[in-house]
Amino acid sequence: MDALEVKDLTYTYEDGTRALDGLSLTARAGEVTGILGANGAGKSTLFLTLNGVLTPASGAVFLGGKPVSWRRKDLPELRRRVGIVFQDPDDQLFSADVYRDVSFGAVNLGLPEEEVRRRVDAALERTGAAAFARKPTHALSYGQKKRAAIAGVLVMEPEVLILDEPTAGLDPEGVEEMVDLLAELGKDGARTILLATHDMDLVARCCHRVCLLERGRTVWQGTPGDLFRQQGLLEEHHLRLPPLARLMAALAEEGYPADPGAATVEEAARILTALLGKGGTT
Amino acid sequence: MGTDRWAYRSRLRAIDPLAKLWLTLGALVVCLGCGSAGVGLATLALLSAYSVVLGGQPVKTVVKCLLIPLAFLLAGSVTLVLRPLGEGAALWAVSLPVLGRWGVSVESLALAGTVLCRAMGAAACLFFLALNTPVCDLTAALGRLHAPALLVELMELIYRFLFVLSGEAGRIHTAQAARLGYGTWRRSITSLGELLSVLFVRALRRGERVYAALESRYYTGSLATVAGQYEKGTWLYGLLLATAAVQIFIWTLERGGLSWMLWR
Repeated sequence: MDALEVKDLTYTYEDGTRALDGLSLTARAGEVTGILGANGAGKSTLFLTLNGVLTPASGAVFLGGKPVSWRRKDLPELRRRVGIVFQDPDDQLFSADVYRDVSFGAVNLGLPEEEVRRRVDAALERTGAAAFARKPTHALSYGQKKRAAIAGVLVMEPEVLILDEPTAGLDPEGVEEMVDLLAELGKDGARTILLATHDMDLVARCCHRVCLLERGRTVWQGTPGDLFRQQGLLEEHHLRLPPLARLMAALAEEGYPADPGAATVEEAARILTALLGKGGTT
Repeated sequence: MGTDRWAYRSRLRAIDPLAKLWLTLGALVVCLGCGSAGVGLATLALLSAYSVVLGGQPVKTVVKCLLIPLAFLLAGSVTLVLRPLGEGAALWAVSLPVLGRWGVSVESLALAGTVLCRAMGAAACLFFLALNTPVCDLTAALGRLHAPALLVELMELIYRFLFVLSGEAGRIHTAQAARLGYGTWRRSITSLGELLSVLFVRALRRGERVYAALESRYYTGSLATVAGQYEKGTWLYGLLLATAAVQIFIWTLERGGLSWMLWR
């Protein structure tokens, strides 16, 4: 069953910008759904709507099959179930103390102090932020701030976790750590993760499904492999194949049985060993 | 920034900020209340020693910190030492036209000495707090003492975003300087003006984004959080009593208690 279903969502900003124009998408529990789209495609508006910061003009959202309400009294419930990790951690971390910042969401849920502490400790442990929880926020590296920001959302134990460009601005080591963390977060099996990114390599490595947005609408939805096989679609939306998919595409053009949908190192290695005649059929 | 980076390295960092706050306030009140040079010096010595021995701060750091108020106090005490004397006895005096006779007397020296010692004692108390308690621990302690939430939250937000904004200002400055924005005095003035206006706009935008992020974590008008667990630091209250005992003992000595005790 789809854990999250968005149907014909529209939202117009005060200045008349139609940020969401009948947007529909679905995401499954236990999967990472990549949200692709140029800047201004409506990603941020979609996320703020899903979390209840913005109220859509029309359309519906179903969480676990039940429709979501944006009425004031239902907002706590919505914000508990859908958590957003913002792109710039300096927008999210409002406290100079990491531990206290992480506790904020849990305190707002009205939980007793022991439960808040249990959740904060668990979230810090899970994101690897425990190592620097006693440091001031301003002394953290960018990657550490991102971890702290993720921990601050995990304490609310959301069913849907939205990550807005989690690898933007990170160095290669930071990106690797973030990929590991994403894999770790997906382990629950119950959590639905939405991941907005421009990094196609990250899509290939982390996402189970992809949703392509343009001007407030979903223009395509499917698996990363299917996306990489559609040269025309990629060109139309100015998306670049990940390096390995490009290699596979080049091999396929030369007439070899290579699949551009194989964009991870493991898949590509399997195809290449098969092509080279070692351990596989040619 | 400032004393805060030392506070994070303090050995007393993990101790409940309230205990440190009470020790500071207790020693401060007794020091100021006694109004004697001896108590001031004793407070200065004791509290500085606490920063070094208990907090593990380098002597150099504590001395450097104390030199800052000392410079101001020395400049300020000139006006206490040098006063109009009238007909009184003087160590050194000069007759000025219009203003009359000015100079230095034993009393004025003693007064300046007392004020100086008291103030330095008080400064040592505050530096003990500042060098061993990070700002966010201190604001959390203020919250627990039922200081107005609005005030405490404002302090915390200002403290946090001071670093964000100063970082932003630094980056704008570098970007301008890299394009010769500060080449001449005239350019510098123009560039600085642009920097400030851009910074203002960015701060406004940042404020909107921070608000959205707070709302997404169900902000309802209160920035209530739970702080990490502290060591109780009950022994600091004992230290507070011991410090006060030493201070008051020295006060009684200075008040002629010494001759009284010898006479007995």
